[in-house]
Amino acid sequence: MNVFARELRANLRSLLIWGGIVILFITTGFAKFSAYYGNPELLAVLDGLPPALLAAFSMDAVNLTTLSGFYAAMLTFFGLLLSIAAVMWGSDTISKEERDRTVEFSLTLPITRSRLVTAKALAAMVNCVVLLLITWVATLVNVARYQPDSAFYRFLSLSVLPLMIMQMIFLAIGVFLGCTMKHYKQASSVAVSLLLGTYFLSIVSDLNKNLEFLKYFTPFKYFDSALLLNESRIDITFVGISAVIIAACLAAAYVSYAKRDLYI
Amino acid sequence: MTMNIFRHEFRMNLRSVITWSLSLAVLIFAILSLYSSFAGNAELLNEVMKEFPKELLIAFGMDGMDLSSVLGFYGIAFLLCQICLAIQAANYGFSILSVEERELTADFLLAKPVGRAKILTSKLLAAVSGLAITNVTVWMSSLVWVNVFRDGKPYDSKSLLLLLASIIVFQLFFLSVGMLISLLVKRVRSVTSFSMALAFGMYVLNGFGGMLGEDKLEVITPFKHFDPNYIISNAAYDLPLVLISVTCIVISVAGSYLLYTKRDIPAAV
Repeated sequence: MNVFARELRANLRSLLIWGGIVILFITTGFAKFSAYYGNPELLAVLDGLPPALLAAFSMDAVNLTTLSGFYAAMLTFFGLLLSIAAVMWGSDTISKEERDRTVEFSLTLPITRSRLVTAKALAAMVNCVVLLLITWVATLVNVARYQPDSAFYRFLSLSVLPLMIMQMIFLAIGVFLGCTMKHYKQASSVAVSLLLGTYFLSIVSDLNKNLEFLKYFTPFKYFDSALLLNESRIDITFVGISAVIIAACLAAAYVSYAKRDLYI
Repeated sequence: MTMNIFRHEFRMNLRSVITWSLSLAVLIFAILSLYSSFAGNAELLNEVMKEFPKELLIAFGMDGMDLSSVLGFYGIAFLLCQICLAIQAANYGFSILSVEERELTADFLLAKPVGRAKILTSKLLAAVSGLAITNVTVWMSSLVWVNVFRDGKPYDSKSLLLLLASIIVFQLFFLSVGMLISLLVKRVRSVTSFSMALAFGMYVLNGFGGMLGEDKLEVITPFKHFDPNYIISNAAYDLPLVLISVTCIVISVAGSYLLYTKRDIPAAV
């Protein structure tokens, strides 16, 4: 509990900075949306297109003239921002002890290494959840002036779930890297390359129908905003894959940290 | 410049430089190798895309992109390269001076009979030469793979050269701005958090700005200054925006010299 409270306090500044960034993005985003909102010209062009074509490009989801469509398009950016924060917090919370040379002190505390990891991971998780709440509230505040209907609110609350799962995946990966990597510098650089790699994969998998299998390898593609918007559901296969990734990362983290030689 | 410091810094960075260079070469190869399978359908796709409202394409970053031409396709690869290059350069920028304070080696270094300005020059040159190696790798792999995978289709070599020539300014922007920020804050704990925030912040800002139509915020992001789509479709730079980048670099480097020579550096013990 002490470790947990200490970590929360230590992470507070970083949380505030990330919160500020997220609020800034949401505010500017929805301020600019007013130019699109209900723009009849744009709507006419969209209506002129065959619906099948739109669906093929999953562009029915991002009808930018509606609030839901606009929000669906913004979800990609939210996912990216929240994932970066999660993976950095996850790897940093473990590896910073070695970087700041405090690891000898914290490991002499009368708790086992696995309890230390648990407390730290939980603190980082609380951070992630708070950041998600900030995102949610900021969105609610900013959309209020467009008088959204109940369908939008349902979509908004539904979209919190995939964002959270993405955060948890990257948090687990971060904790795993922090626990496993021999040198604290490696943890963050591997975290960055994983994040970049999966983000690039998500872009490449859009390029060609034949490359669609790639989406199994990138969390950025696990949750399709079109499916979420139009059918109000998320693909259960990907929830399963996410759960497996999170469980595997955490298990490996505990096992390897329990017997790792520390870098001092 | 002091050769000893330069050599030491360069060697410290070498492994990271090689890793980044190789990954970028692989990235360019991987994306361009998709081109031939794509080129056949792409003309059809372009026809379809003409029908779409511009705003939708902008939201997907596909505006002004001709995917059937090899350069249009290369534009995607180049944008991804830019993200990597930004992170690499920002990494070096943030760590170049802060690493000494973090690893408690600043006392040792500053006790050497070398002025601070000289130390900074040597370190800066070492980082720039590292970035130059990566730059050359991107040049070579781009030229080679574009020519191998273009399927005998012609391309505008001027646009390609302009794109590649923009890399050096792009890198210097993130290097110098990173360095300046690292001197403005009291302590850089985690280099990666800073560099991710700077690089991805700029990237998201650009994507956001593109989606939202005309936006004043995007003038501060180099991703906008060197937008591959703009360079490819116009075969020219957006000169006023490029000048913003150059000005930022000059101010950051000058500011860094000023701040570093006066900086209060905490001792190890």
